[in-house]
Amino acid sequence: MLPATRDLDPADADANPETESILVTAIEARGLVKTFGTLRAVDGVSFRVERGETYGLLGPNGAGKTSIMRMLAGLSPISGGELFLSGLNVAEHSRAVRARLGVVTQADGLDGELSVRQNLEVFGFLVGLSRRQARVRADEVLGFFRLGDRASSEVDELSGGMRRRLAIARALMGEPEVIILDEPSTGLDPESRIRVWEELAELKRADVTLLMSTHYMDEAETLCDRIAIMHSGRILDEGTPPELVSRHAGSAAMDIRPNGSSREAIRRELDAAALTYREVGALFRVTGGNGAPPRLPALEGVQITERAANLEDVFLALAGRGLQEDQA
Amino acid sequence: MTTATALVPETGFIRWRSVHAIWWRHLLALSRVWQVALTWFVIEPAVVLLAVALGIGQLVGEMEGFGTYAMFVAPGIVIGTAMFHAIFECSWSTFERIGQSYYETALTAPVTIHEIVFAELLFAVTRALISTVAVAGFAIAFGWIPLSALPGLMLVSVGVGTVFGGIGLLFAALSPSMHALSLVFTLVATPLYFFSGTFFPISVLPDWLQPVAWIAPLTPLVELARGMALADLGWVHVYCGLYVLGLTALLYPLAVRLMRRRLMK
Repeated sequence: MLPATRDLDPADADANPETESILVTAIEARGLVKTFGTLRAVDGVSFRVERGETYGLLGPNGAGKTSIMRMLAGLSPISGGELFLSGLNVAEHSRAVRARLGVVTQADGLDGELSVRQNLEVFGFLVGLSRRQARVRADEVLGFFRLGDRASSEVDELSGGMRRRLAIARALMGEPEVIILDEPSTGLDPESRIRVWEELAELKRADVTLLMSTHYMDEAETLCDRIAIMHSGRILDEGTPPELVSRHAGSAAMDIRPNGSSREAIRRELDAAALTYREVGALFRVTGGNGAPPRLPALEGVQITERAANLEDVFLALAGRGLQEDQA
Repeated sequence: MTTATALVPETGFIRWRSVHAIWWRHLLALSRVWQVALTWFVIEPAVVLLAVALGIGQLVGEMEGFGTYAMFVAPGIVIGTAMFHAIFECSWSTFERIGQSYYETALTAPVTIHEIVFAELLFAVTRALISTVAVAGFAIAFGWIPLSALPGLMLVSVGVGTVFGGIGLLFAALSPSMHALSLVFTLVATPLYFFSGTFFPISVLPDWLQPVAWIAPLTPLVELARGMALADLGWVHVYCGLYVLGLTALLYPLAVRLMRRRLMK
C-alpha cells in the first residue's frame, strides 16, 4: 500500500494571500542565510520546490545542505532571508510547518528503548494520530517498507539499511505533504542503497514532494527531478540533471591517466586543443566536448577513457569556478 | 534572550498531545524493563530503610517529638529516594536521549522545547510518585508512617519531581560528557541526601551550617514530608511550600533556555 499524501488543507489558503502559488509550490527559500558565529553556512540561497517534485541539494560536506534542512524542520533558527512551506513562513509558523513535514535526519534518531513497531506508533501519537490510527498507519508503513516481520524486533537488531528504512517509515507516519531526507543512503551497503532508492522512487510516484540532500552524484541523477549544486553555502547552479550536464560539461567527456607520461606534455596538448580539463589526483578529466571526443595524436602511452559527461563533471566544473571566485 | 521571553512558548500554548506522547514513550520504555525497575523502586530503598530503621534505629532510641528513630527517618528516606529517581531521570536518561537524537526526532514533529521540558518534568514526577508509593508502602507496613500520610507524601513528591527533575535537566543540558554529568550525583544528590534533615534534624548541625542546610533544595521537601507523616504542620511548612514553588518558577524557564541552547543550533 502506498502512503497517501494529505490533501491540501483549505486553511493553508487563508494563511497566505498568494493562494495560487502555494498550490503548486511546496517549499520556497528566498535569500536564506544561516550563520554560526562568523561562518556563513548558508549564504543567501533561493530555490523553489514544486508539489510532487523530488528536489536534490547536491554538494560536499559543509556545503550547507544540512543547515537548510534543519532550518526547514525547525531544528535550527533562521539567521536571515525567508523560508516557506506550503506558503507558511517557517520562522513564524514552525509548529504548523512541522505538522506538514516528515523529516529523516542523518542520525536516524531511532528509539533504542522501544521496539520497531513502538517507534512508529509512539511517533504517530506524537504527531497527532489517535492510538488506533497510529496502529493502523504503522501496519501500512511497515508493509510498504517490507518490515512487517521485524515489527516486534529491537531497533538494535536491525541492519543499517533496515534502520534507515524504518526512519523513513517513521517520517511517513503523519502522512506529510513534504518529506525531507538528509543523505538518505549515506553509510549503506550497495544493496540497501538500491532498496532505499526503489522505495523513494515509489514514494515519488505517489506524488509525495521530496527534498533530499546527497553528496552522491548517482543518487541525485537517479532520484531527483531537479538539482541545486551547492558549494560553500551557495547554490552554484540549478536544473534537471541532463540540463546541468549539457550546460557545464557538454555531452562527451574523457579521462586521461598519464601512466608515467609527462603531465606538462598532456597539459600542453589539451591547451592546444582548447579543451576544458581538471586535474583530480593523477587523473585529467576532460569535459566540454560535443559529439565525438577530439583526438590527441601527440599523446602516447597515456590511458584515455571516453565516457558520457555526468554530474560529477558538472560539480567539478562549478565548484572549481566557485573556488576561484572565492579566492579572487 | 531574557528569562521572561523564554517563558512564552514558541506558538503561545502548550500542546498537550506533545507532553502526553513523550510521557507515554517514557512510561513504555520503563515498563519494558520492569524487572530491573522493580529493584530500583522496591529492593534498593527497602534495604536502606531496613538498615537505617532497624540497625541505626536500635542505637538511637526515642527522638523527642518524632517517636522512634524509624518514624523520624522514614519520611526522609521516602523523599530522598524520590529525589534520586527524579534526578536520574532528568540527568542521566535525558542526557542519553540527547545523544541518541531522541529530542531531535521529537522536534521534527509539531513539538516545542517547552513541551519537552514539561514532559520530562512530568515523568520525573511520575517516577518520584512510584518511588514514594513503594517506599512509603514499605514504611506503612512496618508502622513507621501512618497510612493517612500517604496522600500528603505523594503531594510532596510532586514537588520533589519538579525541583529535582529541573536540576537534572540543567545538568543534562550543560554537561559535555557523561563524566561531567556524574557531578550531579557527587555534588548535588549525595550531599543533599545526607544533609537535608533526612537522617538527623538540622538542629544538631553546627550553627554556621544550619542556614546552608535550610537553603538546600531537599530540606523544605523533607520538612514537608515529615510534617505530613506526623500530621503536624506549622508556619515553617508555609516557608517550605513557598520555597519549593519559588525553585520551580526559577528552574523551569532556566531548563527551557538551556535545553533550547543544547538542542537548537
